[in-house]
Amino acid sequence: MAEKKEKTQPLIPEVKPEELAWGQGVVITARWILVGAGLLLAVWNADSLAELRVQVLVILLLAVANFYLHAQLLMRRRTLSIVVYGASAADLAVITVLVLSSGGFSSDVFIFYFPALLALSVAFPTMLTFLYTGGMLGFYGLIGLASVDANLDNLQILLARLIILGGVAFCGNLYWRIENHRRRAAEETREQLMEQIQKRQARRPARA
Amino acid sequence: MQNMRMPEQEAAEDIFFGQAVMIWARWFVILAGALIALWAAESIAELALAIGFVVVLMGINFFVHGRYLMERPANRSLLLLVAVVDTAIITLIVLAWQGRTGMESPYFIFYYPMVLAFAFVFPPAMAVGYTLVVIAAYLGANFLTDPGILISSRSLEALTMRLITLAAMGALGAYYWRVQRNRRRLAAEGSAERVELSASAN
Repeated sequence: MAEKKEKTQPLIPEVKPEELAWGQGVVITARWILVGAGLLLAVWNADSLAELRVQVLVILLLAVANFYLHAQLLMRRRTLSIVVYGASAADLAVITVLVLSSGGFSSDVFIFYFPALLALSVAFPTMLTFLYTGGMLGFYGLIGLASVDANLDNLQILLARLIILGGVAFCGNLYWRIENHRRRAAEETREQLMEQIQKRQARRPARA
Repeated sequence: MQNMRMPEQEAAEDIFFGQAVMIWARWFVILAGALIALWAAESIAELALAIGFVVVLMGINFFVHGRYLMERPANRSLLLLVAVVDTAIITLIVLAWQGRTGMESPYFIFYYPMVLAFAFVFPPAMAVGYTLVVIAAYLGANFLTDPGILISSRSLEALTMRLITLAAMGALGAYYWRVQRNRRRLAAEGSAERVELSASAN
């Protein structure tokens, strides 16, 4: 009796490079927004030269990395998945550094997490989105707790921020799943139609 | 093979399938809003008022979610009306909740999931329109609470940052909506090579 081989599903499903390429446009655009707005705000009302140096350096490094990824996309070259995943992790890390360097909980820079989370949630599979978002929320939660004044008002503001940030990632990935489902349905309909056409064409010579 | 769907049918499907995202975005706002209402209220009157907003949003969402589950989803006009009500309620929270109003209000973040969800469901032109309405509502709330906002460089900086990210949510949502529409059309046309090539071009 032949033993049935059990197929184990990997925790993080493999993603085809062309599948990743579809979401990369959004990720790269979101990163350009982060770079442009980040530079503007870093220069605007800079408090100290040392802080400004760190911020500008980090943002310029991000811009160079994004230029490379954008060029790859424009030349229709496939970028390694690990580079794509690493770049998105770097986005979140850069925002976290900026949040840390500008006051933690009291900093408004956390709002840059919104476009970054949106971009990765529509580009990556659910498990990866969950891991990235969970990690980011964990880090930001810790930063918030460490830098917040211990009063209930601020804690509930922190919690509200975490819920809404999580909500944006959830909604982005929900849309990604809905669209995958719709696309597969469209492909199946097309294949069924093609099958029917081929069957009819095959029957014709027999009748003749 | 040509695309078998008419643009009108595609738009109806966008609304049919996409409204789940709007519903879930609203549930997240309700969750955060209920938490704030229960936790932060300092008097019975304040709690009653705050929970009133939450109950209105919950009522709307129960109705819309219920219809969706019964496979009789809300139509385009109803979704537009509900989106306007969402914006009005969030703007009222920014305008009046607990003394922390205008730029001081931390609840402007409720706009973000709503703008994103709208951009996923409606065509880009409408998404841009809705994003502008939200930005105008937020700007209006800030000017009403502090007309001198443009004089303070700090406030202007924070406001610019918030408006840029808010606009980015609408723009990125609309961009992804277009990417997905092209991809779906290519999938229906059935040329695998074209699907891959266009993926690189997008």
